[in-house]
Amino acid sequence: MKILMVCTEKLPVPPVLGGAIQTYISGTLPILSKFHDVTVIGISHPSLPDKEIMNGIQFVRVPGNVLEIYREEVVQFIQNNSFDLIHIFNRPRLVMPIRGAAPNAKITLSMHNDMFNIEKIDPTEATSVLKEVSNIVTVSDYVGNVIRTLYPESAPNIRTIYSGVDTERFLPGNHPKMREIRNSIRKQHGLENKTVLLFAGRLSVNKGVDRLIQALPQLSTKFKDLALVVMGSKWFSQDEVTDYVAYIKALAKRQSIPVVATGFVSPSEIQKWFAAADLFVCTSLWQEPLARVHYEAMAAGLPIVTTARGGNAEVIIQNENGLVVENPEDPSCFAEKITTILSDKSLMKRMGIRGRELAVANYEWNRVANEILEVWHQAIEAPSTNIHNELESIQTQLTNETHSETLEVYQKVELDNEFSKQDMLDKEDMVDKKNKKDKKDKNDKVDKKDKKDKNDKVDKEDKKDKNDKVDKEDKKDKKDKKDKVDKEDKKDKKDRVDMKDKKDEKDRVDKKDKKDKKDKKDKVDMKDKKSKKDSVDKKDKKDKKEKKEKNNKQK
Amino acid sequence: MDNIVIIPWEVDELTHEFFVPDYINTLAAEVLKHYSFQVKSVQVVTTKPDKGGAIWKLETNAGPKSLKLLHRRPTRSMFSLGAQKYLVEVQKARVPGIVQTNNGQEYIEAGGKLWFVAEWIEPLAPVTKDLEGAKQLCYALGEFHQLSKGYIPPSQAEIASRLAKWPKSYGKVITKMDWFRNIARAYKEMPASQSILNVVDTFQEQARKSLADLNQSSYLSLVEQGNKSWGLVHQDYGWSNGQMGPNGMWIIDLDGVAYDLPIRDLRKLISGTMADLYNWDVTWIREMIRAYHEASPLTPELYELLMIDFSLPNEFYKNIKEVVYEPELFLNETTTQLIQTIVDTDQSKWPALNEIQHDWRK
Repeated sequence: MKILMVCTEKLPVPPVLGGAIQTYISGTLPILSKFHDVTVIGISHPSLPDKEIMNGIQFVRVPGNVLEIYREEVVQFIQNNSFDLIHIFNRPRLVMPIRGAAPNAKITLSMHNDMFNIEKIDPTEATSVLKEVSNIVTVSDYVGNVIRTLYPESAPNIRTIYSGVDTERFLPGNHPKMREIRNSIRKQHGLENKTVLLFAGRLSVNKGVDRLIQALPQLSTKFKDLALVVMGSKWFSQDEVTDYVAYIKALAKRQSIPVVATGFVSPSEIQKWFAAADLFVCTSLWQEPLARVHYEAMAAGLPIVTTARGGNAEVIIQNENGLVVENPEDPSCFAEKITTILSDKSLMKRMGIRGRELAVANYEWNRVANEILEVWHQAIEAPSTNIHNELESIQTQLTNETHSETLEVYQKVELDNEFSKQDMLDKEDMVDKKNKKDKKDKNDKVDKKDKKDKNDKVDKEDKKDKNDKVDKEDKKDKKDKKDKVDKEDKKDKKDRVDMKDKKDEKDRVDKKDKKDKKDKKDKVDMKDKKSKKDSVDKKDKKDKKEKKEKNNKQK
Repeated sequence: MDNIVIIPWEVDELTHEFFVPDYINTLAAEVLKHYSFQVKSVQVVTTKPDKGGAIWKLETNAGPKSLKLLHRRPTRSMFSLGAQKYLVEVQKARVPGIVQTNNGQEYIEAGGKLWFVAEWIEPLAPVTKDLEGAKQLCYALGEFHQLSKGYIPPSQAEIASRLAKWPKSYGKVITKMDWFRNIARAYKEMPASQSILNVVDTFQEQARKSLADLNQSSYLSLVEQGNKSWGLVHQDYGWSNGQMGPNGMWIIDLDGVAYDLPIRDLRKLISGTMADLYNWDVTWIREMIRAYHEASPLTPELYELLMIDFSLPNEFYKNIKEVVYEPELFLNETTTQLIQTIVDTDQSKWPALNEIQHDWRK
């Protein structure tokens, strides 16, 4: 089959900049491409060619970042190329434009986030989208359940396919391949003889690492030699020190337990930090789909403390490979779970071993790819969605017109839905039957797979591909990392934040001094309303910059 | 030129007020080659070093112009430039016109940012710093909001909208009150820490009530009317960006415009002015609202939202949020006094809001 995988407009594939979706696609491609003629369309990146064929997979890279721009590029590409199946990742809003350009292709949609929420997609469009796609794959039951709740009619077409991890790259710290790396990282960062808690993720309010930092004082009373490693890229960035990063830095500064920030770590290097750690903590406060870091931590043989938010707890078997914090808003709940694990060394060890077992048994890319293959097969077998003929007739319009006209097409599509009811019912019947069969198939397959896993021919080939790929990626990543480090170094030296703060501080002092002096007088003046250029005038002086702008600034 | 990326730059005691890095000046010269006018002189008039933006005044054979380097993402800037073009060309608003390049473009992309040239309006003078001036500002703001309705951004622009984000931004205020508290606790030996701890609960409670009121209000039904029907907020409107010029009030500095409920601008203008007065003055508030209403009629629903937006602890939040950067410097005696001023002013806020609460429901 000719298959097109449509990535999102945010990050390139392969995941030179990281990204869960990009990792998911890259992890499964070597296997998927053995069975089908696969093209991947995604966004361009300076380190990647706009067109290439790698290991038999065609990559097409177009401008992105903004969905509107990306959408037009993707639609144009699809108009000039035909595919049996188009697998769209995490962008339901691409479905209708793509349907317009490919009236006969089957469409599979992968959902990695809550992109069906009403603030993300208009319900009218969402309903059309759900009629156009043959099936929907979600990264966790949580993600699927949100869609089911919003659009009950979608229920029969939704299936969870958990993501995967390269269990040969993510290895426990005591693995022969990792021992040296673990020791050298720990030595380099003053973590020898420390019990290292690891957080890995974006430094953002949603990800909640501040709760873990706030739990440290409580932990420090019970455990000597603890350390926290925060692996997230924005800590040292001078370009965009967000309020949040400033906040957690301010808190971290005051801890007796050392907080080590790694700064930017290339996606190809993160396994080293997992190997250097002793306990993994995910602090997410938001309804997270299911963070990849859980698979990586399991593969690295780390006990996990995670939160009962979104899909995160779906991969935790309580007391076997980790513990779940029910109320992550409260730092002491983290302290409590971490204490439970740290105070029982044998439990801690058991959890790590069990996590590794689970990763190898359930979360390898083979399993993910096989499930995607099933879904593709199912999509091809599914009846065609019903509105394409109508779309075909207006497709010529779409070709030459801008996206605002494309929106009109959606509306037209929506009006025509009445035609589709019988088809829909038929389709649902079929899909129901198929789902039952698929479940059975899946179970059979998993059983067989487990037994044969290591001897699998596909597996071996996959490994070779993987190695090739990893090598190439490594080279790229190293260069990227170096560039980034160089840049950050320069910035660090200049320490712009300090400067800014000094200036702000000065402004503030000036402002306040003037305010104080004028305070009483101004109040009286303003009440009188007699002095026409009183207090606001004086306030002008409080801020040099504002005054400057006032007198000079123009567009 | 293609490979240069404009980034923020540093200023210190050694750099002069209008310092702009050389490579940016070089880019500016390149950009100006795309225009037909002859430049007689170039002078930096504003810089935003921390963001990487700047404005130059140009004297040309075709009269004075401004050259602006927009610090935002290019696709974001396209939204604002489209708005400015719409306001000038379609709505004939008193907003500086954009000068087209030789190729008929509104902007030039260089150094990864957008640059554009606009007319320099002369003469422009700030309104008087009294109630009359405040009313002029409000009326001009109302006009601006009316004229901005119906704007549709160009297809390649990203849609800048704050319309649906009110609950989120209220939530952020509540969250950050936690941060203020946690930092004050972590730095409890600093002079201003105790002042923060004394009042942060009260202000956080105010913010919680504001969010609850917002959720109870007609906000969601207003949001449903959509971006285009509400039009644009300026986001940085005040005594410097609204000035008196040829034929009336002119509104400048439009690069932050976004779709939103328009009264957001009005709320900021009024609450900022009350902070400047150190007093919530019912007469001023009423007259300012009325002046706005004459140009852009307020419905009871919008008035209700205006009241809710007033009820947020805007001044405390705005002035204290910097604490996360270098708390060991910020939490000084001056901040203690600043907090006292905010708390004192807040005393007059609630009676004033109570008094005007039902003005629009009669």
